[in-house]
Amino acid sequence: MSTLIIFVLLVALMLTGMPISISLGLTVLTFLYVLTDVPVEAVALKLFTGIEKFEIMAIPFFILAGNLLTHGGVAKRMIRFATSLVGHWHGGLGLGAVLACALFAAVSGSSPATVVAIGSIMLPAMLKAGYPMRFGAGVVASSGALGILIPPSIVMVMYAVSTDSSIGALFMAGVIPGLILAGMLLFTTWYRARKAGYPREPRASWRERFIAFRESIWGLLLIVVVMGGIYSGLFTPTEAAAMSAVYAFIVVVFVYKDLSLKDIPKVLLSSANMSAMLLYIITNAVLFSFLLTYENIPQAAAEWMLTAGLGVIGFLLAVNLLLLLMGNFMEPSSIILITAPILFPIAMKLGIDPIHFGIMIVVNMEIGMITPPVGLNLYVASGISKLGLTEMSVAVVPWLLTMLVFLMLITYVPEISLWLPRTLGMLS
Amino acid sequence: MPIKILDRLEEIFIALLMASATLITFIAVVHRYLASSDLPIESVQDWLVQLDLSWAQELTIILFVWMAKFGAAYGVRTGIHVGVDVLINRLGDQKRRFFILFGLFAGALFTAAIGTLGAHFVWGNGAHYAWLSWQGLDIGDVPEGPVTPDLEWPTWVVYLAIPLGSFLMCFRFLQVAWHFYGSGDLPHHDHGFVLGNTDGSNDDMHPKDMKGAK
Repeated sequence: MSTLIIFVLLVALMLTGMPISISLGLTVLTFLYVLTDVPVEAVALKLFTGIEKFEIMAIPFFILAGNLLTHGGVAKRMIRFATSLVGHWHGGLGLGAVLACALFAAVSGSSPATVVAIGSIMLPAMLKAGYPMRFGAGVVASSGALGILIPPSIVMVMYAVSTDSSIGALFMAGVIPGLILAGMLLFTTWYRARKAGYPREPRASWRERFIAFRESIWGLLLIVVVMGGIYSGLFTPTEAAAMSAVYAFIVVVFVYKDLSLKDIPKVLLSSANMSAMLLYIITNAVLFSFLLTYENIPQAAAEWMLTAGLGVIGFLLAVNLLLLLMGNFMEPSSIILITAPILFPIAMKLGIDPIHFGIMIVVNMEIGMITPPVGLNLYVASGISKLGLTEMSVAVVPWLLTMLVFLMLITYVPEISLWLPRTLGMLS
Repeated sequence: MPIKILDRLEEIFIALLMASATLITFIAVVHRYLASSDLPIESVQDWLVQLDLSWAQELTIILFVWMAKFGAAYGVRTGIHVGVDVLINRLGDQKRRFFILFGLFAGALFTAAIGTLGAHFVWGNGAHYAWLSWQGLDIGDVPEGPVTPDLEWPTWVVYLAIPLGSFLMCFRFLQVAWHFYGSGDLPHHDHGFVLGNTDGSNDDMHPKDMKGAK
């Protein structure tokens, strides 16, 4: 009964359009105040302890690093390098865009940032080369989703924080799925471009490729800093995030000189703005999950699920459907923070690996970002391409289907996610 | 005019918090490796070894908690807080106007409640004690309140971020509501802001304002 009240209240408040963080908090306060005799001090205490974890602080650091890189010309150099590698095949610039998104995803933890960084340069270039706008916008919006699958990833940090999983293991687990998805997106792009007869670029010589590589090396080294640092145990993920922010600052301001020192306060402020929004959702989601635990809802849901006889396969399918549906209305961080406390205990009881489960959720979130009405990537790409949201939604369909196939692969073949972290000894 | 000064202070404050947290974590990591590696100059090495930066992690957390609370208030002003606006963006102007105001007042109500709870907590966990001892009054059995583990700062000072940030946020909600009531405008956050494109928000995560409405 109380489960019903809690969720009806939450959904009703959310549908009025108030911020998700506020709906979560108000649900908790109203429920505790009206229907229970939990001392409200318990809530106050939770508010203070909600975000006092060093792991959570990786989020603002990654956002800062990402913002510095987006504003600077790191993306431009990565695009040049990517295009020199794959530009001579069918739909060369489209392939270059996918590869550049994959490279940028490896230094940035956010999908929309990847779309902005790559799309704002690549879309005009593709249009000039004679590609239809739809094709370009579709490629960029969907490959931008790689941003949260290829580490570092803010969404993975969210999952790790709300389920007490290892951020390092999750990051490693994202590498191979990320490469596979990039490969699949490349194939879809190539196939569609060949059928439509889109232009190819002149083949770059190895010398040109080397020059393009050397140009982009400073950005690419960031991958070594983050992943190498975490894997070797040199830094914790949060420290790696801070190091990458400082590194990005040095590269952008002193090496590439794309930003001057006086631009930095603006970047700091916009990063703080975005981080505070996410941290505020976390604080309130912590309150919400306290309420769920207090009402024994996760345990009840787990028992119900087990007695209903829904096996691993059925459960994972149900989770995928639920997350895809929610992905149509909310953004990834909120979805993970709200659903993880309930879904995670069930997954554990069914013997699903927490890291595999996390990667599966992240892939769902990627798809959510390119499905209407709420798809952050669609929205960002429509801002760049000036295509309407409806047209954007149609434009991404081929890649969306590719990603759905990929989701099935990830869901039912756990080894794709687990092999690398296990081989590296990061899983127990 | 005083509001403009408050706006500016708020911006400088959260940008500084962001910058200092990054610097402190960076310095702590560099220090940890320099102190444990063999440096050619012995005096530098000795100085590094005695320098204790074990509090860096705690300070980073405190800085970010403050940034989160004040940044959330700033976020109300910039319209960055995401919601589910699929439904209300499809309603007529009159109804949407009602729901937007409802949402803003709900925000003000929630932050006021949290601010009050937070203020009580801070008062009971050391602020009262600090006040009494500062005034030289009889302390009685008012608790002194705990201190943080590494820096040994009184926790109530750290937690002051909650009431201060929440009340500021409450004020921001009312300010936005007042402005919306008068002009029909809402602040909009643009996720593609690097490009400087100024198209209105159509992402269904933020409510559409009343621009162009009759």
